[in-house]
Amino acid sequence: MKKVLVACGNGIATSTVVAIKIREICEEQGVQVMVSQCKLLEVESKVSDYDLLVTTGKFDASDIDIKVIGAISLLTGVGEEETLDEIVKVLK
Amino acid sequence: MIYNAFTVLLNAGPTVMLPVIMFIIGLIFGVKPAKAFRSGLTIGIGFAGIKLIIGLLASNLGPAAQAMVKNFGLKLDVLDIGWGAIAAITWSSPIIPILIFAILLTNIIMLILKKTNTLDVDIWNYHHMAIVGVMTYFVTKNIALGIAATVTMGIVTFKMSDWSEHLVSGYFELPGVSLPTVSALSSLIIAVPLNWLMDKIPGINKITFEAKHAKKYLGLFGEPMIMGLILGGVIGALAKYDITKILNVAVNMAAVMVLIPKMTSLFMEGLMPISEAAKKFTKKKFKGRKFLIGLDAAVVVGSSEVITTSLIVIPLTIALAVFLPGNRVLPFADLAVVPFRIALVVALTDGNILKNIIIGLACTGAILLAGTNTATDMTNLAKASGIDLSLAAGALISSFAATSLTLSFIVYKVFTGNVFITLPLFIAAFIGIWVYIEVIKKKPQIDEAKEVNIAE
Repeated sequence: MKKVLVACGNGIATSTVVAIKIREICEEQGVQVMVSQCKLLEVESKVSDYDLLVTTGKFDASDIDIKVIGAISLLTGVGEEETLDEIVKVLK
Repeated sequence: MIYNAFTVLLNAGPTVMLPVIMFIIGLIFGVKPAKAFRSGLTIGIGFAGIKLIIGLLASNLGPAAQAMVKNFGLKLDVLDIGWGAIAAITWSSPIIPILIFAILLTNIIMLILKKTNTLDVDIWNYHHMAIVGVMTYFVTKNIALGIAATVTMGIVTFKMSDWSEHLVSGYFELPGVSLPTVSALSSLIIAVPLNWLMDKIPGINKITFEAKHAKKYLGLFGEPMIMGLILGGVIGALAKYDITKILNVAVNMAAVMVLIPKMTSLFMEGLMPISEAAKKFTKKKFKGRKFLIGLDAAVVVGSSEVITTSLIVIPLTIALAVFLPGNRVLPFADLAVVPFRIALVVALTDGNILKNIIIGLACTGAILLAGTNTATDMTNLAKASGIDLSLAAGALISSFAATSLTLSFIVYKVFTGNVFITLPLFIAAFIGIWVYIEVIKKKPQIDEAKEVNIAE
């Protein structure tokens, strides 16, 4: 099972929206996944345990070794499906 | 019959009222009953959880804060219980359904009249605007004043979102988005004039220093559990507890720092179906029109400049709390959300680290003082909402949110003061700023653009 870390400013608001959407799409597509949330400030100390990092908004990912996907589209609704497709592809 | 049912619910208190109210709001927005019911219950569970954690926080920090007062004369007896608890209190107010629809309606009317471009269906962050109305209503017992205060918050917030859009698209490179999050916008009230003033000082823009190592040495201020542990330990030591008790306070405070966001995210989870339904509804309504989509400021606080500045401002804010005359707020839970109060400051100064720290501290200083000033009202409201503070040893509560935020504080004072004097003054000032930004300031900008063209 793949593990996803969803990070936003406070690890509460936007990351919850994104985490729920990832869980829903994965359930639909039959992909087994574990989704956790955290603050962007905590990413560096936590990210090594995960397969995919999804962030909402501007984030400097140059120090991150795993695949990073920006998911602001899941908040604005513009380009939402493409982003979800990209996430599912990584997790399959 | 219906009246009886209502009385039963009202007597049962917010933990019961909240799921019922959220269920009804969900139904009004067209969420399916089964989903709306689950949403309501999830929010109720979040509230129950937050109540437990606040009990843990108050019973540990309250007596320790009082002991600090006795031992060292450090009068920091207003506990910062964090914005999540404040949001919970806000959402459990009996007038919250009216306020939510008042904010949404204000946004829709302003969009129709083309007075704003920000479409704000981030229902979650409505709590910042709603709390001012909830507190105004609580203090004045006048529901019309409460609604008026919240609508005023809405109007100012949407306008400020429009005005600060260039910071979001320019500095943070997020076009088509604005940030109607009061906790971020509010800082601009202090930051814009201060930034202008500092620009008048020759050479200040030239002073830059490397803050790359901030992450290495101050990183712990970005990790809530470590920050909770250390702060808890220091406060326990200042309370002159024995070592067992110090360790207990330290671990309990680490627990509070980690658990509050977990409980708050239950709120968010429950609210999401309502938020999504509102998004669909408004998008259909305004088809074809170009908007700025209002997002939670959480989308910009990950920028490394914001993080670096925050890591420096957080410890300085703790020091400021000790030395700032008149302050009684003991910063704690909301130290974790200082990046929100800093984000737009960083964009405004274009990442000038010296200016960011000075302006950032001015903003958190104002938050501490406003938090002290409104702590009594906040504490009474929390008690009326069923938050048990009996173990807090008489300490008051506050936060870095609600009426501690500069904008919310001003609007709250306007509506709880002598409105016949304060309201006209406020309206005059607001319209003055509006005209300055949208009429006077716009013209020279066009001229500048022309000049550049000619020069080219």
